[in-house]
Amino acid sequence: MPSSHPSSDLILHRLSSSDYEIKLKAIREIKNQIIGNRTKKLSYIKLGAVPSVADALATANSDSDFGSNLIVQSAAVLGSFACGVDQGVRAVLDAGAFPHLIRFLSAADEKVVDAAARSLRMIYQSKLAPKFDFYKEQNMDFLLSLLRSENENLTGLGAGVIIHSCETSDEQNILCQAGSLEKLISGLDGSINQRDASLESLATILKNNPEAVSKFAELQNGRALRSVIELTKDRYSRTRLLACLCLICIKNSSSCHLQDIGIKTKLIYILLELLDDSSQVGEEASFAFSSLVSGKEDLQKLAFEANAIDKFYNHLQNCALHPKRLEGIFLALAELCSKLECCRSKFISLQVLNLLISALTHDEANVRTAACKCLKSVSRSIKNLSAGYFMNERIVIPLVRLLSDLSTSVQVAALGAISNIVVDFTPDKSTFIQCGGIKELVQLTKSMDSSLRLNAVWSLRNMVFLADRMCKEAIFMELTVSSVASLICDSEPSVQEQALGLVCNFVDGCMDCVEFAFAEDGIILDAVGRQLWKFSKMEIGIQGMYVLSNIASGNEFHKEAIMQLLFPQAENGSHSLLSQYLQSNDSRLRTSAAWVIVNLTVPASPGAFDRVVKLRNFGIVSQIKRMISDSCMDVKLRARLAFGQINSFGDS
Amino acid sequence: MSLFWIVIRQLAQIEAMAASKKVITREEWEKKLNNVKIRKEDMNKLVMNFLVTEGFVDAAEKFRKESGTEPDIDLATITDRMAVKKAVQSGNVEDAIEKVNDLNPEILDTNPQLFFHLQQQRLIELIRNGKIEEALEFAQEELAPRGEENQSFLEELERTVALLAFEDVSNCPVGELLDISQRLKTASEVNAAILTSQRHEKDPKLPSLLKMLIWAQNQLDEKAAFPRINDLSTAALEDAV
Repeated sequence: MPSSHPSSDLILHRLSSSDYEIKLKAIREIKNQIIGNRTKKLSYIKLGAVPSVADALATANSDSDFGSNLIVQSAAVLGSFACGVDQGVRAVLDAGAFPHLIRFLSAADEKVVDAAARSLRMIYQSKLAPKFDFYKEQNMDFLLSLLRSENENLTGLGAGVIIHSCETSDEQNILCQAGSLEKLISGLDGSINQRDASLESLATILKNNPEAVSKFAELQNGRALRSVIELTKDRYSRTRLLACLCLICIKNSSSCHLQDIGIKTKLIYILLELLDDSSQVGEEASFAFSSLVSGKEDLQKLAFEANAIDKFYNHLQNCALHPKRLEGIFLALAELCSKLECCRSKFISLQVLNLLISALTHDEANVRTAACKCLKSVSRSIKNLSAGYFMNERIVIPLVRLLSDLSTSVQVAALGAISNIVVDFTPDKSTFIQCGGIKELVQLTKSMDSSLRLNAVWSLRNMVFLADRMCKEAIFMELTVSSVASLICDSEPSVQEQALGLVCNFVDGCMDCVEFAFAEDGIILDAVGRQLWKFSKMEIGIQGMYVLSNIASGNEFHKEAIMQLLFPQAENGSHSLLSQYLQSNDSRLRTSAAWVIVNLTVPASPGAFDRVVKLRNFGIVSQIKRMISDSCMDVKLRARLAFGQINSFGDS
Repeated sequence: MSLFWIVIRQLAQIEAMAASKKVITREEWEKKLNNVKIRKEDMNKLVMNFLVTEGFVDAAEKFRKESGTEPDIDLATITDRMAVKKAVQSGNVEDAIEKVNDLNPEILDTNPQLFFHLQQQRLIELIRNGKIEEALEFAQEELAPRGEENQSFLEELERTVALLAFEDVSNCPVGELLDISQRLKTASEVNAAILTSQRHEKDPKLPSLLKMLIWAQNQLDEKAAFPRINDLSTAALEDAV
């Protein structure tokens, strides 16, 4: 708690004086103390200076010279409190200064207008500023008058309002239709500040809005677009960055603009060069890079050829990196390595992994999350997975520790990386098991957070894939039968799907593995059966059928249990579950159902004949016969196989 | 003909010549120079730009009257800016800060490095005037928080505070901080920040032109022998060696 300095007490006392001269002097003193000085700002806010200054502002008379001066000084103080300090913005808004500042925008005295506009601009740079309602006509008139003004402070405020409040595509369209694009474009030829403000507000309006982008691209026969492209070569780094961001917004919203390889290469090179900038621009450049290449293989390829990975690696080696920079670089690398094996190979050959591993234990949660996302992308490399590159203590131990991280986003990101790493093609998962990985994962399957549950089950599913019997048993014991059954009936369909996938992987393999589904009176099998009847997502039905198919590859008892599930006593005719699946529009569903029949009708099994008879009675055999000419190859092949087996028992 | 004319013509000429490879005699060169057209208005604008950016208010005013060239910024703002610059150069930093805040309260709020340097200069002035007690208090109250708010200032902060540790400040390792050149450095920084905030380019155009001339001459040198301007202050054409 900052103790109040004797001098600040005096100033506050004078602030509430009824003598205007004394008040003005006090306000000016505060102004000169707080500008540039964050510590002093916080101190004065705590001492309650803001309401007094706001009062002075509200009661001043803008028609008199003295009143104007008081307004200018008070507005400057309030603007400074709000500049980059959230508590300041809060205090200024709470003190009711906002409507007065708006009022003074139309004052006669230019100095008053400037002061008010500046303060409002500071407020609008914060998320705490009041949301501007674009739907009200008088608001739009007001906004347009700001954009039309000759006064740079007013146009800057207009741009700031747009940047702050324009979020939905409806709002973007309102702004477009009102002609704000044209006004902002003229700012591109203006001063440094005008250009930057125009670029940022244009990007806000054009983001994810193909209509707005088309309109923009057509303006002045494409001159506006060309201006933005020119600005990517500006001498000021911030302008270059904002121009790139604007172009990225345009490119991502349009399928015909900025699609040639020239502009793509240019953007990549400019952003990579901006990384060298030591100011905030350098930080933001990597985030811009991520949004440029995200999900776009062609851009990732271009970036790879531009040696992007080397460049990012060089930056990472600089030890005194700001956490924001680290986060940005790892996120960019995550995007770069998300699809292309060449990028992942480069990443691994450069030994960036060492730096990534230390980032897993960074103080900042965002850095840890970014490092995990990067690891998730890199571990998609099948070549390295099968070489067991990732399944070692250096990586697994810190990663498992992150499963109990305080931040949910870190946990989810860690789970993402683990899901890939455990798809280790070697059956030995002992490293992971030894550092308590399974316990952590199982714990997370019980989380209230659905994304944690989902990713934890997914990781377990991947882990069980092709795992040996001992590993499966270890996991199964930890999970318990009842929790598997309840995950199959989870409230989230995506969790249901993964749970079924998990069971599918459990029962795949040896005869003993099939027994898993029957543990504790077969509650797991019951749960599977229930989901097959009322699934909400196609994938759930498919997974469920494959579970049945795997079980049906077991012994007689197993096969009979499946028959019992598919054809309960009371049912008859063509409404059977299996019948419905065989008729489904989704070929994957048809395929999975066909597999079940293949496994049920294996000729070598003793009870196969009886099963075939039953299938015939339920009309399944004739369905299978028809499916031999199915349009989907997978379905055709399975149907043919099944029918061949059925035929070997006599006529059909 | 003024030196300025010669320099500008030289530059334009070289750019035109860059494509060919040969030896050019003085007569040929001067003939071509004379054919290069430069507008007087452009020249005047360059001169005005220089006077304004460097802050020569009276000269700019006179030049405007005599040549009819309009300055690209309001001359009144130059006066304000020069007052700030002068205050820093005389060591009246507190006064300079007040003036900057009157001119534009945003400047110091959005330029942490500049603000730090001004605070640093204040400390230096207190030490220079032997006010050690006050200096210590100031360092603790005002400078230390800057270092807390921004790690990158810590190193410079340490250097400045080191001044307090030495009896004979003018002979200590960080003694250069007491030089007048430090004041000029800070003054220049403030000047640039004010210019930027007034939407003016902070560097005058003339030096860029001269740099371009030297570069262009060097480029042409690789392809031809021609009369060069080696002394910018006289703009005399010297024959190639």
